[in-house]
Amino acid sequence: MSVRMRALACAALVALASCGGDGRTVLTVYSPHGKDLLEYYEAAFEKAHPTVDVQWVDMGSQDVLDRLRSEAANPQADIWFGAPTEVFDRAAGAGLLSPYKPTWANLLPPEAKGDSDLWYGTYLTPEVIAYNSDAVKAADAPKDWDDVLDPKWKGKVIIRDPLPSGSMRAIFGAMIIRGMGSSGSPDSGYAWLRRLDASTKEYALDPGVLYQKLGRQEGLISLYDMPDIASLRGRFNIPVQYVIPASGTPVLVDAIAIVKGTKHPDIAKQYYEFVTTPAALEYAAKNFYRIPARTDIPLDSLPQWVRDAKTKIKPMPLDRALLAKHLDEWMRYWDANIRNHSKKS
Amino acid sequence: MKPEQRTSWALAAPVLALLLWCVAYPNITIIAGSFAHGLGYWREFAHSPSDREALRTTLEVAFGSVVAATAVGLPLAFVLSRVEFRGRRLLQAFAMLPAALPPLVGVIAFLFLYGESGVVTRAVQRGLHLAEPPWRLTGVWAIIFVHAYTMYVYVFLFVSAGLERLDGTLDEAAAGLGASTQFRLRKVTLPLVTPALAGSMLLVFMSALGSFSAPYIFGGGLRVLSTQVVASKLNGSMGMAYVETTVMAIAAVGALLLLRWFERRRTYALTGKGSNTRIALRGPMAHLAPLLATALVFLLILPHAMIVLVAFARDGTWTTQVLPPQYTLENFTRMARDPQLWTPVRNSLWMTVLATIANILVCFVAAYLLVRRRFAGRGLLQLLVVLPWAIPATAIAIGLASTFDRSAPAQLRLLLVGTFWILPLAYFIRGIPLVTSAVEGSLRQMDPSLEDAARGLGASWWLAMRRVVIPAARPGLAAGATLAAITAVGEFVASIVLYTHANRPISMEILAQLRNLSFGTAAAYSVLLIVLVLLISVAARLLGGRAERVETIPTA
Repeated sequence: MSVRMRALACAALVALASCGGDGRTVLTVYSPHGKDLLEYYEAAFEKAHPTVDVQWVDMGSQDVLDRLRSEAANPQADIWFGAPTEVFDRAAGAGLLSPYKPTWANLLPPEAKGDSDLWYGTYLTPEVIAYNSDAVKAADAPKDWDDVLDPKWKGKVIIRDPLPSGSMRAIFGAMIIRGMGSSGSPDSGYAWLRRLDASTKEYALDPGVLYQKLGRQEGLISLYDMPDIASLRGRFNIPVQYVIPASGTPVLVDAIAIVKGTKHPDIAKQYYEFVTTPAALEYAAKNFYRIPARTDIPLDSLPQWVRDAKTKIKPMPLDRALLAKHLDEWMRYWDANIRNHSKKS
Repeated sequence: MKPEQRTSWALAAPVLALLLWCVAYPNITIIAGSFAHGLGYWREFAHSPSDREALRTTLEVAFGSVVAATAVGLPLAFVLSRVEFRGRRLLQAFAMLPAALPPLVGVIAFLFLYGESGVVTRAVQRGLHLAEPPWRLTGVWAIIFVHAYTMYVYVFLFVSAGLERLDGTLDEAAAGLGASTQFRLRKVTLPLVTPALAGSMLLVFMSALGSFSAPYIFGGGLRVLSTQVVASKLNGSMGMAYVETTVMAIAAVGALLLLRWFERRRTYALTGKGSNTRIALRGPMAHLAPLLATALVFLLILPHAMIVLVAFARDGTWTTQVLPPQYTLENFTRMARDPQLWTPVRNSLWMTVLATIANILVCFVAAYLLVRRRFAGRGLLQLLVVLPWAIPATAIAIGLASTFDRSAPAQLRLLLVGTFWILPLAYFIRGIPLVTSAVEGSLRQMDPSLEDAARGLGASWWLAMRRVVIPAARPGLAAGATLAAITAVGEFVASIVLYTHANRPISMEILAQLRNLSFGTAAAYSVLLIVLVLLISVAARLLGGRAERVETIPTA
């Protein structure tokens, strides 16, 4: 055995040990934007900057925050491309970001700018009500948040597990803030979420599972973000449509930032600018279903659904400071006292 | 100090030091973290109804999984190693298949098969003209069902390895003395495979305790500790995550101590190198057995077949039909066109090779020390080798990430986070209990007097090792190393926390495809991964296999 084992091990070592660097400067990007978009920008950036090797690591936005925390003593990433601003605010609070003011900083709406230049918005993410368009006629679909609680949808609502999802946390936070009025108490928001829980059939582990269950009619209604739902139909042929809630909807801003302690600040800035030029944003809108945050992109250069998003949506004002202070606590309360409680009694 | 003790210590010291550094140290970081606010986090845990519910459900799942996995694995191991029938070799070859299903891939396969809109579910629904799906794969029973499929392999593999070492002549002697089949099973065979059985049951208990994907996907919102850890972490309460991890570890260590106590009460050993005979089936069973074997093989292969099917299905076309309506080669051509196709494959293989070689070396020494030597620190070693199984992979990863995130030689901290080496280290740690307990099982069946006899006859310690101990350990070594390599090549849960661009493994490529909604391409990569796993098992069989002797004994 030992001779054969040794021979095999040696062969494996020789065959596998052939990896190594090629002398280019490595720029490391942490991003939840997905393989296709990241590969596109990787190739384009490397073509424009032949001495740079862009290496991206694809993970959820909460995971990026977790990683930056654990790598704080020895940062591995140069740039963080993509996460809702709530997550960036937490990273900024933990001192994980490095300031940079991009050339287009003045072309953004105020809610898309982080404090002290620590992050800037790239894309807008409005939240919508999604439905399976094979099983539900457009006329019958819920038109607003409260319509989702209608008894006819009981047991037909599928919700993405809200804890790891920036979008779902924003929707839940918005529902709580909306219910607060002047009282400042989250109770009426909790009551709304309790009714939503009663209608909810299941909490889906991740977006992929959610889309499958929605596409295959395990559930008919969901709440999620508009770009992802639009891409389901456009890119993947899954029969899902969306409704823009009539009373208004939270619009998340997706942002970009330079990681504190980056070893290549200049290249990081070049990449920062590279992925946010008007041309880059138009390409992302057409091919990857991203709605640009910059206000100087001519509407007629964008696809129809993006124009709709830019003109038809009534943004729901969200108090960012209030969210930063209380959202974790609200989500913990929801997790312990509301999730699945209607199914137990 | 006697020379015997000197060699014990010369062997034990480096192994203990290594394990203390890479197994105990990260866990101590976690335990220390749980007391960061004194007893505050612990009090919060004790008063939280959801955490209490999680603890209760976790234990239900763990015990249920042990019962279910043993009920499947034990009879299968006995039948396959003791009875000869048509279809036996086929079934034996396929019995390992569930281990070839990496966690992420397995969960997806089960969802597509038995989920509410799965193939089996919809076929039954259509077949019986039901308005509603006949079942929902959710709750404690769903998790146990999934665990039974994925974890019976441990029982099957360990007991088979035990039976292979069993001396058939013992059984024949008992038969010759007039003992009935049942009596022989109860008094001869079962006691002799008890160490292997108990070890594998412990592994099942611990895997079920820390299992993450099955409860998360099939639990239907059910709380177990491993999902609570992740929920706490994502919610920014690291302290609670540390407490929940510690509680899980306490439960596992409790089970371990129970097993050790049980083992001390009875020891059996065998002389001889083991020889095995199979009984040929006669009568109606001889005709029935191939049918049953075929049915079992079918059930075992179904999840893999499902993945292959999805790999050929056109994305987005499969909505309410029982089977995907359109098929295409697109998913494979897209994968083959990817310029980076081989990078994750090469990374995974390379890290698997490194981790498994380290596992074989370290775990063999550890198992030898545990079984054959008495020395101060033995109890500690015993705890250290099994601890990584008790700690869920996420927690191992968190421990590594928060311990080796900086270079501080005085604190024995080495900067590993963000480097290539952190993942092979994590894989190595996860493989320790697998390889060690498999080798222990084999060594425990060796008569201790064999090694002493060799030494007494003048063999050097090394010669006795090579000629007596290593051959005795070989079935366990091969089985354990195979399991460790298979686990490493498809590892998902620790990888997702620790991987970097330099060591991006296959499972992360699959995840990237899923994130990108390319289910077909994800399935194509999964097929590639399954093929790799099968190649590893075949290679292990060739390297560790032995000629099998099949004899037909007339049943009187």
